[in-house]
Amino acid sequence: MIPTPLLIMLSPIVVFLVGFLGEELKVKNLREAAAVAASAASVVAVYMLYLMVEAAPDGILVFYLQALPPLGACFEIDMLGVFIALSVALLTFFATLYSVRYMEHDTRLTEFYALLSAMSVGMIGVAFAGDFFTLFVFWELMCISSYVLVAFRKEAWGPIEAGFKYLVMSALGATIIFLAMAFLYGMAGTVNFAQLSNALHGQPMSMWLYIVFGLLVVGFGIKAAIVPMHTWLPDAHPEAPSPISAMLSGMLIETGLYGLCRILFLVYEPPAFGAAIAALSILTMCFANLLALLQPDIKRLLAYSSIAQMGYMLVGLSAGSAYGMLGLTAHIFNHSLMKGLAFLSSGSLIHMTGTREIEKMKGVGRMMPVTTFTMFVALLGLGGVPTTNGFISKFILFSSALGAGMWWLTVIGVINSAFSMAYYLRVLKILVSAPEEGGPKVSEAPLLMVIVTAAMAALIILFGVYPAPIINLADSASKALVNGLGKYIGAVLP
Amino acid sequence: MNEAVVLGSIFALFSTGVYCIAVKRNMIRILLGIEIMLNSGNLAFIYFASLKSGRGFIDPLGQSIVIMSIIIGGCVVAVGLSLVVNAYRHFKTMDVRKLRRLKW
Repeated sequence: MIPTPLLIMLSPIVVFLVGFLGEELKVKNLREAAAVAASAASVVAVYMLYLMVEAAPDGILVFYLQALPPLGACFEIDMLGVFIALSVALLTFFATLYSVRYMEHDTRLTEFYALLSAMSVGMIGVAFAGDFFTLFVFWELMCISSYVLVAFRKEAWGPIEAGFKYLVMSALGATIIFLAMAFLYGMAGTVNFAQLSNALHGQPMSMWLYIVFGLLVVGFGIKAAIVPMHTWLPDAHPEAPSPISAMLSGMLIETGLYGLCRILFLVYEPPAFGAAIAALSILTMCFANLLALLQPDIKRLLAYSSIAQMGYMLVGLSAGSAYGMLGLTAHIFNHSLMKGLAFLSSGSLIHMTGTREIEKMKGVGRMMPVTTFTMFVALLGLGGVPTTNGFISKFILFSSALGAGMWWLTVIGVINSAFSMAYYLRVLKILVSAPEEGGPKVSEAPLLMVIVTAAMAALIILFGVYPAPIINLADSASKALVNGLGKYIGAVLP
Repeated sequence: MNEAVVLGSIFALFSTGVYCIAVKRNMIRILLGIEIMLNSGNLAFIYFASLKSGRGFIDPLGQSIVIMSIIIGGCVVAVGLSLVVNAYRHFKTMDVRKLRRLKW
């Protein structure tokens, strides 16, 4: 039995059909309206699911498809899934609204909106999946639509090259996840999360469990852009259209991290993976921050900054406590807003100036004041300045490492975070400095794009000054993951 | 068939795929490498499904997962091939080493 809110899973088909109809009947803006309506509907639907989860006795909703597990697939929705889905739906709404003006000169827009919707549904499905197989199917839905979206502007060579690189890396990751799933199935005889956890959680580490751990970290790590599996990201994010970069950087790589967290907590005890994840976290932070400093391309800089933020999030996972996961989940939401805004604002800058090189944007800040201000908010948030929401989640992340007795991880994290301000401030300095002779002459971006970016900037400051709603939600999400394992298993097994 | 042979062939298929992706220059061969790797996962599922319910019966879960994974693999390769076609239009070559214009 499928509840009504889950019908948003059909939205890509609806968007495609309505868009096709609009093209045939030559109704202007019908497909844009359909896409925006579908993304708004998914925000509402996820909110309804949130209310249903809150009302459920154990805070978990289970929906079986066709048969009972292990044979049938199922959705198992807990607070963490709802939290991730809410972040996805919100960012998709902003990105879709922004695309209306940003993409208006492109062709094949029906396909564009249908694929954007499919990518968002794929991510929501990954967050709601109750067994590994459902997760894998939605994972591939998300991946395949993102390959096409990265290479969407196929008239240029850049997107094609980046798309092919991304496809090879990501498909490699998906097959590795598939192999890990096969080994888990071999050990437990099921792919249902609850039954897997019931069979494997708390077992002594065997050779096969170590192999599966390695496969999971590599497979999900490719998607989550953990160094050294990150090489697709700095190519794919700049070459994609800006709203897609915002979606990729804001939620898609975090979905990879979500999958990793979910399965690690189901199968392993936190002390078993803490040290390995901490090492990866340090490598990711240091490497990405160093390379971001050298980038002349604004979107490439932001792409490296995403990798660095992923390193900060791994700090919370390596702490392994509910507090660490609180930081991770809160940072996923905050990062989706901040990095989404940073990519959308840089998209406005690129849209108007026609260049991606930071040096050529000298003085643009005086001609595009609102966009520059939103960029300012986003970059300060990414750097972790107080009164932005990035500060709060970063503070929780780094203090969680102290709580787990890893003071060296906190020190390295804080140094990295301070160091990252160097390249954020460099962008801001160039934007607000005096215009040069022969520099770009531009006006403010189209109104709709400005409204979207201004709304996101307002949310960043709002949740920086008044973080209680997000922190409370993230708190129940992280507790559902770390402490709620018994309930998670009990909801499926009698 | 004993366990060592099957696990050995899973490992062999997996490493063949990784070798293809890492070493081959032709873009289509790289996509074939991905397919070969996916097949190692399929083989593992079929083997574990046959182990689960004893002699003569096979767990239908493993079979249905393999069928879906073959379909998904087909989709991925279809998108990949369309990218290869477009790449050929831009670069006039199938050699992946010529796709080096994006620096890192």
